[in-house]
Amino acid sequence: MTVYLRNPLTIVWALLTAVTVVSWLTARDPGAAHVLNATVTVVVLVIAAVKSQLVIWYFMEVRHAPWWLKATMAGWVAALFALLLGLYFGR
Amino acid sequence: MTGVAAHNPSGHVDGGQRDTARRNHIPGESSMWFFVIGDLIIFGAYFVAYVYYRGRQPELFLESQARLNLDIGAANTIVLLTSSLFVALGTAAARSGKTADGARLFGIALALGATFPVLKLFEYAPEIVAGVTPGTNLFFMYYFVMTGLHLCHVMLGLVILSFVIRNLRGPAAPKISFVETAATYWHMVDVLWLVLFALLYVMR
Repeated sequence: MTVYLRNPLTIVWALLTAVTVVSWLTARDPGAAHVLNATVTVVVLVIAAVKSQLVIWYFMEVRHAPWWLKATMAGWVAALFALLLGLYFGR
Repeated sequence: MTGVAAHNPSGHVDGGQRDTARRNHIPGESSMWFFVIGDLIIFGAYFVAYVYYRGRQPELFLESQARLNLDIGAANTIVLLTSSLFVALGTAAARSGKTADGARLFGIALALGATFPVLKLFEYAPEIVAGVTPGTNLFFMYYFVMTGLHLCHVMLGLVILSFVIRNLRGPAAPKISFVETAATYWHMVDVLWLVLFALLYVMR
């Protein structure tokens, strides 16, 4: 099983999980009140965009895919999160 | 469309493909990718609508977010990420001819995936008992519709993963293109949850 521990996919997973645990603990903090907070929102959305892209790139193996699939998938992540941030600040 | 020519149409084990051989390779059936892209656009429209309406009633959305079970939401994120890892490892194992390893890894992925709906039940039940429903307010309408639709995707994914295990265990040579197609779908379910977790549970 050590071969799976040293696998690059496992390293990507460890990174994804570590980031999730950090956002979990941050949101769990008693001081993390449910009030509008642009800093928290920007950090959370950027982290979600990076996580999505990592899953798409490594787990979905889009990094080996033809250019049009790479562009479509990366384009979805970029367009979605740009729109979400734009709407958040444009309210 | 040179990439299409590089796709292995037979879908059978070709033993130890090197990275260079996988350049310009579409994992699984192209038709699944059109479904995935379509689904991502549909969910994307929901995400955009959610953030738009959130901006019009931020206090209502924030108060409602405070009533969600963050611990279950985060635990389910880790469950799906880990399940996705085992699917990715299982796909690589199956591709390199280690079919028995592949079946075992997909088995772990299925077991993890099956805990998602169980945890979701523990999340929904107290909410519904407390009288929180899609009719409560706009936030909970989006919450129940988006997580409900996602849960349907998870349930379908569990069925697909079971078929992959049967295919890898079966007497016939495993169909790698089917394994890849199933993996593509399962990872999409993971990506959608990552966005849902950020929007529903953590953003402020």
